[in-house]
Amino acid sequence: MEEKRQQKRILVLAVRAGEIMMKAGAEIYRVEDTITRICKSCGINYVDVFAMPTGIFITMDKGFEEDDTYTYICRIKSSSTDLNKISRVNEFSRQFATTDMTVEEGMKILDEIEQEKTYPLPVRIVCASLAAACFSVLFGGNAMDFAITFLIGAVCYAFSRFLTHAEVNFFIHGLCCCALAAFIALIAAASIDGTHYAMIIAGCLMLFVPGVAITNSIRDFLSGDMVSGLGRMAEAFLTAVSLAAGAGIVLKLWALIGGIVL
Amino acid sequence: MMQLLTQFILALFATLSFSVIFRVPLNKIPACVIIGALGWVTYVVTFDYLDSPVIGCFAGACTVGLLSSISARVFKEAATVFVIPGILCLVPGFRIYRTMEALLLHNYEDTAEIGVETLLMAGAIAIGLLVMGVVVGLLRIVYRKGRGILT
Repeated sequence: MEEKRQQKRILVLAVRAGEIMMKAGAEIYRVEDTITRICKSCGINYVDVFAMPTGIFITMDKGFEEDDTYTYICRIKSSSTDLNKISRVNEFSRQFATTDMTVEEGMKILDEIEQEKTYPLPVRIVCASLAAACFSVLFGGNAMDFAITFLIGAVCYAFSRFLTHAEVNFFIHGLCCCALAAFIALIAAASIDGTHYAMIIAGCLMLFVPGVAITNSIRDFLSGDMVSGLGRMAEAFLTAVSLAAGAGIVLKLWALIGGIVL
Repeated sequence: MMQLLTQFILALFATLSFSVIFRVPLNKIPACVIIGALGWVTYVVTFDYLDSPVIGCFAGACTVGLLSSISARVFKEAATVFVIPGILCLVPGFRIYRTMEALLLHNYEDTAEIGVETLLMAGAIAIGLLVMGVVVGLLRIVYRKGRGILT
């Protein structure tokens, strides 16, 4: 009886580790590897994991005749990139496998990792606007564009956090953020001489490009997880379309009311 | 040369910002930042010499992929931590914008041309990372075999 309870605890621990990683934006291969490693280190001989960006399926069995097979399906809904969590869970799984840490201690460490906060919002906003401003100059803007993009980037990032908080669909999210960026950029370009709205909009657009989705989809394909690779590829493509659509709608409307000549 | 330095510094700050947004562990940020900036510089130089943004992206992605794998070995860290902020500079955001602009102008020739180029650039990033993944995997096997024969 005690042994069965222990097996269940191991199962919950392994799924928990996988869930944290997947939510933080890890590749499939790493999630499956982590879960397998944790289970194997506890003396479970038969473990099979099937992970996808939207869920983790895991089955385990000690392999003796009197043992039961345990299965756990974990649905994953939201996700936001947090590389520190991936790094820490990765380290934890190695530590768990090599030292004789108990399952309870492991659970405590995972709780700690999951509770971790991101950097404070003001810091992230400043960073986002700095990134947008740098990109506007990399795309050929001047010092004036840098200053304006810095301000617009801050507004857009704050708006994007608000939309994330309101759990808006990712397509609408990208569309609204880019539309806002384009709108402010057009007003700024119309009222201040020597600015280029194209560079400003493109700089802000870089904040929302699906870099993580592209990278992860490639890494999934590389390790043979075709379904996840295709899913993330589609996500990347749709996000790019939503960004272009958002900026495009505003540009078109602006041209219709005679603000710019398209 | 001066221009290249400016580009390097701008890419440095852009990658730094993304490292903070994606919360890269603090002690890995310097490595991430340098990888991202070198990736962008490789892209710019290759673009200048060969006049092809697609090959530029491929070269940039190769640089990021290779350096990330090396850093992952050195720091005993997941390679994702270095690849994700590093690759972001190369994503063709400006071309997504240009494609859309050409479409608005009813200039379908340009739309097709820039649009295909954008897709190819995204593909080039993918292939660059894939190639480097395979190359690093092969190198690891060769290295292990070589050591096995020696000892």
